[in-house]
Amino acid sequence: MTAYIIRRLLQMIPTMLGVVLLLFVLFNWVGGDPAYILAGKNTGEAQIANIRHQLGIDRPAYVQIGIFIKQIVTADFGASWSTNEPVSDILKTRLGPSLTVMVPLMVLGTLLAIALSLIVARFRGSLTDRMVMVACTVGMSISILVYIIVFQYVFAYRLGWFPVQGWGDSLWKNLTTFAALPILIGLCVGLAPDLRLFRSFMLDEIDQDYVRTARAKGLSEARILWIHVLRNASIPIVTYVMAALPGLLVGAFLIERFFSIPGIGREVLLAVERSDFPVIKAITVYVAAATMLANLAADLIYKAVDPRVELK
Amino acid sequence: MVHYCVAKLTGKEKGLQKRLYSGGLKRGVALWFIAASALSCFSTAALSQDASKTAPLKVLRMAFSTAETGFDPPRVSDLYSNTINEAIFERLLTYDYLARPARLAPMTAVALPEITDGGKTYTFRLRHGIFFTPDPAFGGKPRELTAADYVYSFKRVLDPKIRSPWAFLLEGRIIGLDALAEAAKKTGKFDYDTEIEGLKASDRYTLQVRLSEPDYNFNYVAAHTPFSAMAREVVEKYGEDTMAHPIGTGPYVLKQWTRGARIVLEKNPDYRGMIWNFAASEEGDAELISEMQGKRLPLIDRVEISIIEEEQSAWLAFDRKELDFSGVGTFREKVFDEKGELKPEWRAQGVKLMRAIDPEVTYTFFNFRDPIVGGFEKEKLALRRAIIMAYNRDEEIDVIRKGQAIPATMPIPVGVVGHDPRYQPLNTYNPALANQLLDAFGFKKGKDGFRTMPNGAPLLLKYATGTTALERQFNELWKKAMDSISVRIAFQPGKFADLIKASMACQLQMWGSAWTADYPDGDNFMQLLYGPNIGQNNHGCYESKAFDAFYEASLKLPDSPERNRLFLEMTRQMEVDGAWVLGVSRERNMLIRPWVIGYKKHPILSATWIYLDIDPAKKP
Amino acid sequence: MTEAISSLSSTAISETHGDGKRRGFWSLACQRFRDDGVGMASLIIVAAFFVVVLLSMSGMAASGWNKEVAIHDAPPDLWGLLKPAAPTAMKSLAQRVEEETKNAAQAQSKEALPPLTVTDPLAETLQALNASEETSTAKKEKRASLPFGGDRWGRDVLSKTIKGTQTSVIVGLSAALLATFLGTLLGALAGYYGGRTDDALNWFYSVFSAIPYLLLILAVAAVLQQRGVTTVILILGLTGWAGVFRLIRAEYIKHRGRDYVQAAHAFGVPDRRILFFHILPNVSHVVLVNISILAVGFIKAEVILSFLGFGVKVDEVSWGSMLNDAQSELILGRWWELVAAGGAMALLVTAFSLLTDAMRDALDPKIQRTS
Repeated sequence: MTAYIIRRLLQMIPTMLGVVLLLFVLFNWVGGDPAYILAGKNTGEAQIANIRHQLGIDRPAYVQIGIFIKQIVTADFGASWSTNEPVSDILKTRLGPSLTVMVPLMVLGTLLAIALSLIVARFRGSLTDRMVMVACTVGMSISILVYIIVFQYVFAYRLGWFPVQGWGDSLWKNLTTFAALPILIGLCVGLAPDLRLFRSFMLDEIDQDYVRTARAKGLSEARILWIHVLRNASIPIVTYVMAALPGLLVGAFLIERFFSIPGIGREVLLAVERSDFPVIKAITVYVAAATMLANLAADLIYKAVDPRVELK
Repeated sequence: MVHYCVAKLTGKEKGLQKRLYSGGLKRGVALWFIAASALSCFSTAALSQDASKTAPLKVLRMAFSTAETGFDPPRVSDLYSNTINEAIFERLLTYDYLARPARLAPMTAVALPEITDGGKTYTFRLRHGIFFTPDPAFGGKPRELTAADYVYSFKRVLDPKIRSPWAFLLEGRIIGLDALAEAAKKTGKFDYDTEIEGLKASDRYTLQVRLSEPDYNFNYVAAHTPFSAMAREVVEKYGEDTMAHPIGTGPYVLKQWTRGARIVLEKNPDYRGMIWNFAASEEGDAELISEMQGKRLPLIDRVEISIIEEEQSAWLAFDRKELDFSGVGTFREKVFDEKGELKPEWRAQGVKLMRAIDPEVTYTFFNFRDPIVGGFEKEKLALRRAIIMAYNRDEEIDVIRKGQAIPATMPIPVGVVGHDPRYQPLNTYNPALANQLLDAFGFKKGKDGFRTMPNGAPLLLKYATGTTALERQFNELWKKAMDSISVRIAFQPGKFADLIKASMACQLQMWGSAWTADYPDGDNFMQLLYGPNIGQNNHGCYESKAFDAFYEASLKLPDSPERNRLFLEMTRQMEVDGAWVLGVSRERNMLIRPWVIGYKKHPILSATWIYLDIDPAKKP
Repeated sequence: MTEAISSLSSTAISETHGDGKRRGFWSLACQRFRDDGVGMASLIIVAAFFVVVLLSMSGMAASGWNKEVAIHDAPPDLWGLLKPAAPTAMKSLAQRVEEETKNAAQAQSKEALPPLTVTDPLAETLQALNASEETSTAKKEKRASLPFGGDRWGRDVLSKTIKGTQTSVIVGLSAALLATFLGTLLGALAGYYGGRTDDALNWFYSVFSAIPYLLLILAVAAVLQQRGVTTVILILGLTGWAGVFRLIRAEYIKHRGRDYVQAAHAFGVPDRRILFFHILPNVSHVVLVNISILAVGFIKAEVILSFLGFGVKVDEVSWGSMLNDAQSELILGRWWELVAAGGAMALLVTAFSLLTDAMRDALDPKIQRTS
């Protein structure tokens, strides 16, 4: 087990190197020149050269990549080029709001999807199943942009159930007032795909022998579903949820922009707009690391729950 | 209450000989796409819900439409960061709140400086007893503002490590300063301890600035936010992180900052205070004066600024009273009735409308070094002028600007010295004539229905553009215009930084831009077309001997009818050459909730909440 | 000889659900599909959309979407069902201000402009043109309302929606084909060959999927520079292949050990043939389902790309560009463009998703309905 974990961790090194390389090629070579943003409109060659020197982007590529790798190893990405704020501070302040929206969304979404998928799996093929699936598909088919525009207008502005936008300092207030509508929108968009996937997990389990055995023993259908089927189906569900987590951090940028939530996604857009490479680097590296670790964790959980799984 | 305050900045204040931007703020933001949303600077404010019963906190809630960068004055050049810095730090001089044309007034100086030695020596005398906000950097002792702080702060602008976008305002002007900067480039460390002849604290409260050339406009620099007083201890303590630790002497302090999302300022308890005492200069000022005269400033306890990038989010927030200020922008129909006046439902709420035309001009330049649109041959003049004549500016105003703009007739906008309303533009909208002109010069239509160059080479315009929805609207309009004269046009997308880079190198064929007055003088606009400014602000790389001769002649003259005539000549010359497609000057319409008192748009100052009050009785 | 192998492979498949009759995999699937009511209904809707796309491509519908046929922001009348209020012309604020400033200026100084010395080299030509021909533009009648309303320039929203359908469907399908092609090709190579090839491709896959999708999109968009339908297809296709890769690779690993592959190998069939003629047909249902899943995802993603400013060109229209144009219109009570584009998209995506479900159910023999 330990050997397996160590091997998996070692495998992350070449992947991370690949991320570094790809990132460097995409943003340093073809991305905008940050010197021109920092210099403003009235500038000359000397000023540009000075800024490029200060940022270190006049050095050979291999030196810059070397510095980048050193930054990853020391987990110190320096300061933002445009604001001089330490990148670690930026991430710290951005992470909270993103998580405040994403964690409840993830938890609620997963629980709802599990409950609904059990119900539709129970009545598989029935009208209920069909109706729920069709309704969910319709919900999923509407563009998130439309959801945001319409929900903000109707629920926040017209009906006044939520604030139109904003973010406060207290976690509780953020969670109950400011994050509520974004979470609702997230559910509308994200519930259907989860439900469809979980339904197939449930169906896989329902066809298994142990379910038949349980039925034969006269266990109630509810008990079979909520205890036996759910326990077994939870493995792929947990795996799926774990794998989806890191990507969500950056993914909510539309919601963050419209509802003025100071999260990571908005920061990414800002950083790309300003060619703020330290911020881009840090976010990418952390998300990449989180993705790989989440994958590893998912595999380990898989193994822990189901000993038949062979770890390669 | 509806005022017009067309910003008449006419007056004797002749601009700086070189470019002085009261806002690089305005420049970064200058490109029309960003600034077009009237929701920009002062969007909004609202009242705090958690005000205690005994002494209700006066809270102003506003929104910025673009993220700020930080609060180290010489380092930042965007409108929003500068706005905050304006409230936290203090300059030697500032502007009178009500006076139009904008007039300089002392801030930390006792009075305007003595200018001696034929415009080469400026002597500023500071007020006594101005203290910095307490900070651990001061070791627990009160720290008085002295002339040495300005010496330090001015020197810092040229420190290569600071890479200040404002360095050009001091470069080559102050005796001895450039040598220090040169030495710093070599050693890597700026020597702040070496005394130089040009910047001296001759005693604790006296600052003497000596310039290498006579210049009667240095006062504009002294009133410019990037040249605020900073304490050396603070800068040295926080080093690279000074952006997040603004410690000044001004009326507000930074309480909370979530970058790109939320800025909270609070009244500086140690601020010396100032009495609202301004004289009327325009119709409508009397009401402000009756409401505000004699009050001790600042009155607003807390300013909460949210960064709201999406226009509809900001508008809905204002409409829901989550914010107290809003521009009108896209939402014209919500605000105005058929006559163009404030709708009754707003008046019923007591909402006030404040109107002002910005001292700015939008334009699209042609690159004169471009093989297709560049050059001074007759056929090229014809091509450019046909393009100008095909562009439907009235439709731009109606559809894109939502009626909130006036057409620009000269490079110098309304309200700026040198603008002449009698001037009749040459290249007016006339697509039929444009077509004839192109026909006459042999731009024949090819098989595909689009025109070619007279020699048969393909004719393809490349218009640089960003990626916002607003720019897309402009592109649609341009596409229509060029279709009407059968000229092919493609849009070349890029990030702002890339486009700036390319335009400075004369590599963009066409690009839309905007310029806001940094100081209220025509020179500030005409320099955009001056040949030697290629590589700097002259992005069209327009180099006309005739124009340059007029421009150089105008530099030698004070504000006079003779100089105004030269401005007209320059305008005509650039029209004849077809240098720019002139755009518009935008109108800022600001809606203000009834409990906000004392607002008047200032052409230069932007942190106007310093001068405002809130009347809790008018709160709902 | 290869025919023998092919029949061998199809036998391998039909054996898996041998119910006495030797019916082909695909014909069974079709049978199952026909029994699925929702599936058939969605097929009809999707087919209808494709007809619209064909009509639009051939120029028989919506060819004049770019024409300004109505007044600005013309309201919808739904062919007479709605009675739109006559739009009121709003006096431009700018006009008023201009009038006032002009009057003020005239009052101040009535002197003529000082004579200017600049000469106009084109003056003669222009004068001649002015004299020789009337320079008036013929004003066309503009309609006051349209069935589905007009956009800000007075273009017909219905035509735009039809043209947008064409763009969005083409973008979705082409990008899905591109992504599936890339994913399948790489996945097949990795899964079939294993070893170094697999390691290298797997590494590439891990790198790609570790970078946040948003950053990847922004980066690829920056690299591609140009705008337009092709760019959108490339952005989506080049960034969206990872999922397919994973699936196909797993399938190929599974299949490479199967008897029919071993047999083909023994007969000396070249790898290329085995990869794409023997194994691929057996995993084609996975490929097919993935294309439609991706197409749906990409149609939605195009909206986001438009929001980020990487959408189609100015003289093209897509649902994404329409939704972004209509963003702030809802507040002003102009709902039609949002509803038209959003509704068309929701309908197609719903139908397409349900069709995919039905297809998957039909193609996956494991899932048998208990209805």
